[in-house]
Amino acid sequence: MNSMKNYLTVAALMAATAVAGSLSIGLAQAADISIAIGSEPSTLDPQLRDDGGERAINDNIYETLMARTADGILVPGLAAAAPTQIDATTWEFKLRPDVKFTDGEAFNADSVVRSVERIIDPAFKSEQGSYFGTIASASKVDDLTVHVVTKGPDPILPSRMYWMKMVPTTYSADANFATNPVGTGPYMMAAWDHGQDIILRRNPDYWGEAPSIDQVTYKFIGEPGTRLSSLVAGEVDLITNLLPEFVSSVPNSAAVPGLETSVIVLSTENPSTADVRVRTAMNLAIDRNALANDLFGGYGVPAKGQLVNPKAFGFNTALDVYPYDPAKAAALIKEAGAEGATVTIVGEAGRWLKDRETIEAVGAYWTAVGLKVDFKINEFGEYLNQLFDKAHRPDAIFVQNSDELLDADRPMTSAYESGASYASNNDQEMAKQVQAARVETDTVKRVAMYADITKKAYDGSYLVPLLNLEDIYGFSKRLEWQPRVDSKLLVKEMKAAD
Amino acid sequence: MAVLEISAPITRPTRLPPIVVELWRDKSGLLGLTIIVLLLLMAIFAPLLAPYDPAVQAVTTRLKPPFWVEGGSMAHLLGTDQLGRDVLSRVIFGARASLLVGTSVVALAGTFGVLLGLFAGYKGGRTDAIIMRLVDIQVAFPGLLLILLIVSVVGPGTTTMIVVLACTNWMIYARLVRGIVLTIRQSAYVEAAEMTGCKPNRVIFKHVLPNLSSPLLTLGILEFTNVVLAEAAMSFLGLGIQPPATSWGLDVANGRDYIFVAWWLITFPGLSIAVTVLSINLFANWLRVTTDPQEREKRFARQKMAERRRSRSPLISKA
Repeated sequence: MNSMKNYLTVAALMAATAVAGSLSIGLAQAADISIAIGSEPSTLDPQLRDDGGERAINDNIYETLMARTADGILVPGLAAAAPTQIDATTWEFKLRPDVKFTDGEAFNADSVVRSVERIIDPAFKSEQGSYFGTIASASKVDDLTVHVVTKGPDPILPSRMYWMKMVPTTYSADANFATNPVGTGPYMMAAWDHGQDIILRRNPDYWGEAPSIDQVTYKFIGEPGTRLSSLVAGEVDLITNLLPEFVSSVPNSAAVPGLETSVIVLSTENPSTADVRVRTAMNLAIDRNALANDLFGGYGVPAKGQLVNPKAFGFNTALDVYPYDPAKAAALIKEAGAEGATVTIVGEAGRWLKDRETIEAVGAYWTAVGLKVDFKINEFGEYLNQLFDKAHRPDAIFVQNSDELLDADRPMTSAYESGASYASNNDQEMAKQVQAARVETDTVKRVAMYADITKKAYDGSYLVPLLNLEDIYGFSKRLEWQPRVDSKLLVKEMKAAD
Repeated sequence: MAVLEISAPITRPTRLPPIVVELWRDKSGLLGLTIIVLLLLMAIFAPLLAPYDPAVQAVTTRLKPPFWVEGGSMAHLLGTDQLGRDVLSRVIFGARASLLVGTSVVALAGTFGVLLGLFAGYKGGRTDAIIMRLVDIQVAFPGLLLILLIVSVVGPGTTTMIVVLACTNWMIYARLVRGIVLTIRQSAYVEAAEMTGCKPNRVIFKHVLPNLSSPLLTLGILEFTNVVLAEAAMSFLGLGIQPPATSWGLDVANGRDYIFVAWWLITFPGLSIAVTVLSINLFANWLRVTTDPQEREKRFARQKMAERRRSRSPLISKA
């Protein structure tokens, strides 16, 4: 172990010298960085796929009407100010003047209308469609004013517009658009060497504050171990999804509370989990602090009894973490006559950080309080089939929910509303409450509605919320950056020291 | 001459069957067999041997190193894994699935493939064409797709995996066997057997099959390794062995992420696979020579030469 650490130290030293060496050779390239991403994007069309690699790059090329601060607060982006609501279903956006796409085309109301119509067009089959399902149309009022119309009242439309990248009016129909993207953002496409890397260059005419990094190279490195060694060897400056165990072996790292919450959805209908005492016991049996501090090395926080992200709108501050009380859990199971009852837990492996370990750990906790656990670790495709199979709900299914819009609606629709996505309860009253909250435009009332729902689900143990996970990034020594809550890799916020 | 007579009782010290004596003489073959037997005993008596239940976790004492490394303790001789489970116990229990899957798949796929190969090669003509086109089709069909299809219908599990792996691995036996049968079929002793009125079944199983033993043994060993690794990949994807059961391959796959911080997670199950394959190899090498009449003759000649050299040397020194 010691010799291992020594090797790593030596490797890190060598890497540092190598970086220092290359810096002293080419001072002109001092402000160039490379970022490792997991996979090569299949397209750089910003509206087509829902894919992390594509997003990592296009977040720097394209911009959205609304943006978020590093802390997750919604602020105007390409919009001049926060939108105003004209009536229940119409939102008015005033646009920032004098913004241009990097090919010279002006950014104006036409671009917004085109962007909205393009992404909601069913024939376009955008994978991001689920984010924009409520949008009916967009219309130009004048050159810098747009009305976005929703199908019903939609309080989170501003958050949705934070997800929709603005594309140029005419060029977005061009055949080259998917390989040679053109946006309004701080960076523009320089080169795409297929199978190797994608290079972005600073946009000299950017309307905002000029970024300090001139050029960024995205390298496609699929294997986590290889990503780590590239960072240690100084080939890349930034890697994502660093394992907690490796924090000490990289030159520098930073963690930030992320968007992901791990949860186990319990069926309220299946015989083995129908009794609320059994479900409560399943919650009390789990030592979330041990999971967070040991399994995740402290890079996770026990979830506060709900799936809503602590940074998101609708987070219920009145709820607390389910306590760890194995004795009470065992007593509850005995009381319900469920000792030795078989509970099936469905999960997958390899998709999320330490997913398999988490599932096995939870299963062991349940075994310890008297249940018999039947593990079904499925291949991802089969797992998805079971996750969304509305007719046959598993007793328990593991899932990691990512709350990109930072609004309670997404976790509610996913795991609380019966019949909507992967909820396993049959609480029709709660489903109605979720639907009502979705269209409630009064923010105070809406928060109260979500508080009711999360409280009810907490008492009934519809879910076993596990951990709010942190995103861990590995940096090279020369990179300065504060990671963001929304896990976007915005190069304009980074600085590279010489 | 007197010396030669003395040496005779040394070569046959006991009244063991000749096959055992032959094995006793081949030390590497004997070592291989011994390890195989020990591994089998370990798999069978796992609950008695393992110091802990392999599924019992203690998240707070995870990733403890083996006892001889700083930070390790005698409580967990080979350390603990990413969930605080005892690595030694997991290696002992992992032998069950790995050996079971490895041997059953090789046996199933081998039997099926060899039978088809024998008939294809022996009958020739249309039978041959049909069987070999079947092989071609199966080879061309993506293995992973077939696995996904079968598993999604039947559901994951050890039995399913054995059947599935057998379904995707039999073709290579059929191809190998058919090729050899085509040559053997032309040989004088097969023709003689046919001339004396032997039925095809007798010719195939009594005269052709024994001559296939050495290439088949070699292929079987190579395939065993492949199967153990394929089992690991499938189980890791969730198509095979389900927790709390484990296998060596699955533990290697699970420990991969921790290689830089906890080398013992993949080293011990990995070593177990290596030792198993090596010992099977050593034993099979002996078995191959023993079952092949020509090789036996060569070995016998070598032994005689060695004996003669040994017995002659004292005479020379006296002279």
